[in-house]
Amino acid sequence: MPVETYSVGLPVEIGQIDRELKRLWAEGEGAMTRASHINLAVYSEEPGSLARNTEILSQITENHACRAIVIAADPSAERDRVEAWISAHCHISGTGAKRVCSEQISFLLEGASVKLLPSIVFSQLDSDLPLYLWWQSDFAEPMDPQLWAWIDRLIYDSQRWRDFDGQMRLVEKAQREAKQRIVLCDLNWTRLVHFRLAFAQFFDHPASHHHFHEIESGSVVFGHGYRSTALLFVGWLAAQLGWEISQALAPETIDLKNREGKTLRIDLQEREGSAITWFMAHSGALEFCVKMAGCGDLLEVCRGARGENHTHQLLPSGENDPVKLVTEELMRGGPHQVYVNAIEKVRSLL
Amino acid sequence: MSKDAAISQSNPLRIGLSTRAVPQPCALVIFGATGDLAHRKLIPALYNLAAAGELPPAVTVTGFARRPKKDDGFRDELAETTKQFSRQPVRDEIWKTFAQSLFYHQSEFDDQEGYQSVAKWLEQVDKERGTRGNRLFYFAAAPEQFEPILKNLKEAGLNKPKEGSWARVIIEKPFGRDLASARELNRVVRDAFSEDQTYRIDHFLGKETAQNILVLRFANAIFEPIWNARYIDHVQITAAETLGVEARGGYYETAGALRDMVQNHMLQLLCLVAMEPPTDLGADSIRDEKVKVVRSLRRYAPQQVGKYVVRGQYTAGAVGGKPVVGYREEEKVNPNSETETYVALRLLVDNWRWSDVPIYVRVGKRLPKSATEISVHFKRAPMVLFNRDSTSLDQNVLVIRIQPDEGISLRMMAKIPGTSLRIEPVKMDFHYGTSFGKASPEAYERLLLDAMSGDPTLFARRDEVEEAWAFVDPIEHAWSQKENAPPLCFYPAGSWGPEEADELLACDGRTWRRL
Repeated sequence: MPVETYSVGLPVEIGQIDRELKRLWAEGEGAMTRASHINLAVYSEEPGSLARNTEILSQITENHACRAIVIAADPSAERDRVEAWISAHCHISGTGAKRVCSEQISFLLEGASVKLLPSIVFSQLDSDLPLYLWWQSDFAEPMDPQLWAWIDRLIYDSQRWRDFDGQMRLVEKAQREAKQRIVLCDLNWTRLVHFRLAFAQFFDHPASHHHFHEIESGSVVFGHGYRSTALLFVGWLAAQLGWEISQALAPETIDLKNREGKTLRIDLQEREGSAITWFMAHSGALEFCVKMAGCGDLLEVCRGARGENHTHQLLPSGENDPVKLVTEELMRGGPHQVYVNAIEKVRSLL
Repeated sequence: MSKDAAISQSNPLRIGLSTRAVPQPCALVIFGATGDLAHRKLIPALYNLAAAGELPPAVTVTGFARRPKKDDGFRDELAETTKQFSRQPVRDEIWKTFAQSLFYHQSEFDDQEGYQSVAKWLEQVDKERGTRGNRLFYFAAAPEQFEPILKNLKEAGLNKPKEGSWARVIIEKPFGRDLASARELNRVVRDAFSEDQTYRIDHFLGKETAQNILVLRFANAIFEPIWNARYIDHVQITAAETLGVEARGGYYETAGALRDMVQNHMLQLLCLVAMEPPTDLGADSIRDEKVKVVRSLRRYAPQQVGKYVVRGQYTAGAVGGKPVVGYREEEKVNPNSETETYVALRLLVDNWRWSDVPIYVRVGKRLPKSATEISVHFKRAPMVLFNRDSTSLDQNVLVIRIQPDEGISLRMMAKIPGTSLRIEPVKMDFHYGTSFGKASPEAYERLLLDAMSGDPTLFARRDEVEEAWAFVDPIEHAWSQKENAPPLCFYPAGSWGPEEADELLACDGRTWRRL
């Protein structure tokens, strides 16, 4: 089977990037429209990230034209090295009338050159457009305030953090030092968007709001490695419905108190499968269920008396891959205060 | 935001997830469900909403029409047409679930028994599917059926929602054919449904770019200070179609371009361009400002109509290289028809902001290309400095493209590189499709959701409709005079309309924008 490989493009000298980009456009075949509505910088310390992120960006730019700045860093390398490449991702526009292209500038930074990160990012920004930084590695001290001060949205995935609290503290420190409101975009939170929407829709009618006080138990089933995702879901419910964690009896059981002081229990179960595969809440004789449908990319929601057959409805589930998650995140925008509130509720458990 | 919309927002789990009013579960009854509108637009729109997870699962659709049909047959037909007309591919598993919410109710529109039985059916739906007594009646039937449907709905008590529920009616255009009939229709509607239950749909308002006009004007500080007679020379609004009347010859003969397009779509666009900033984004705040614009339109005396309004009809010609027949040769069209397929108007909005700024509107069928756009032409720079010795510079033109290729462009003057000073117009261009790959929802998707959420902002209010007719009526009267009626001008299909329309602008020293 042929394997598609993504080239990072044409190697260029650092000081010649602008000139080479101009030449790239001048020499491109056929009519092309260069488009950009954000600066999207991607930083990774994982080996092979340049090619992988180039592939990811080729897909993200189908929906979000941007100036992409891809940085692969290896701070532990013995030798200092900086290399740069330029390329373009071109797609046929929705109307089929144009080839719309986004520029990508890629950098490989090794050794002490990693410290050049802020100056590299700053010098390549498309002016007047917001800067989104997708940080794919762990955050580490020292956090350079100069860099954070320029960021509008910081994208990361807390699912891969081993020390949630430590990482979150660094993010918060960066926010403080930047003296501006960086919007925190956790892809682990984005993973929950469709699950949250599916559960929220049960309670759109005011006549169902009494259940908020009557939910007495719930169970979340999550895939291997997605405990933090499940906890964020519980944190969201707690933050929005005014629940407080009273105790975590075991890793798989959380007791909470609702606004009336009544205890409710949420069970967490880890099983084979995607990030979150199931959530069921019980309120009196009713149960509200959201689960992954058999086809794998839809959610099945049902509501009804316990143990009975319910009317089922299929809703979009979103996809748990970086392209879809970042695309979803870029499309939704918003300040994400609810995320911050959700974290506060379950921070001690993460 | 309406009371209903505000209530739906009170779900704390929706905070941060939805920036719009959340649609409520309801039973949607489509009158005329076997017709084109339901098959081509409404059901595909509902399917797309369901596929996007925007439609509350309990929403239940009942097709109400005369032809005998079973639920399964109805579903099969809709499956076929939805596959054909949906903006995104139909997924079998989603359709299967969605189709379970589709039902068919056979009845004559004037048969009270049919309404009594549908009332019983809706109660059953409430119990079985959780539609909570909410009713949305969509009039996709012929306009002459509106009155019997409304009368029968009332008689069956379907216009009165139960405590804690709502009943709404969506009416498709035409909202009458003149002021008197519009008033009569509004009276008949009001007899059964109050104004806040009535949603008059104008699908132009559901288009993304139409909604963006308010954002462009009021979310950007740079435009509002120059959006007035001091800086704007004139405005042009164009809705051009390559299509002829197709199979709608019978209807078109009774309507014409003025009633079919100007009275509703064109005046709605004009209102969005010309209105004052509303006090807030509430439905009535926006509609209050819009209606003031229509009220401020200068009315024409019968003898002025010929001077300021041009009507035309296409003759045989070629569009896109393909020969086409003239209007009078179209199916179901009177061979001596005087119906206009093209209208150009010179309008004036008599208020401080728009004093003496002409707004030229043109709509037409069988024109060289299909495009709807608004262009705002700014006054020329003073005759000093760069344009002192040469011919005067072009105007800055801001273009809002409604369809296709939705976007905004700004024409400005720039120096051509070189040692000599040569100035040429250049264009800054924003295309939705270029910056955002995601396709915009169809206008009907947005409007159906709004009706289910209780947000009437994008629907026409009674006074808007009546004021629009009050403006249009004198033109129609002038045209229908036996003596001294302004002439009907002819244009070959594939041209940009009759020469008289060009003269309308030429008198003012202007020309139509080249599209």
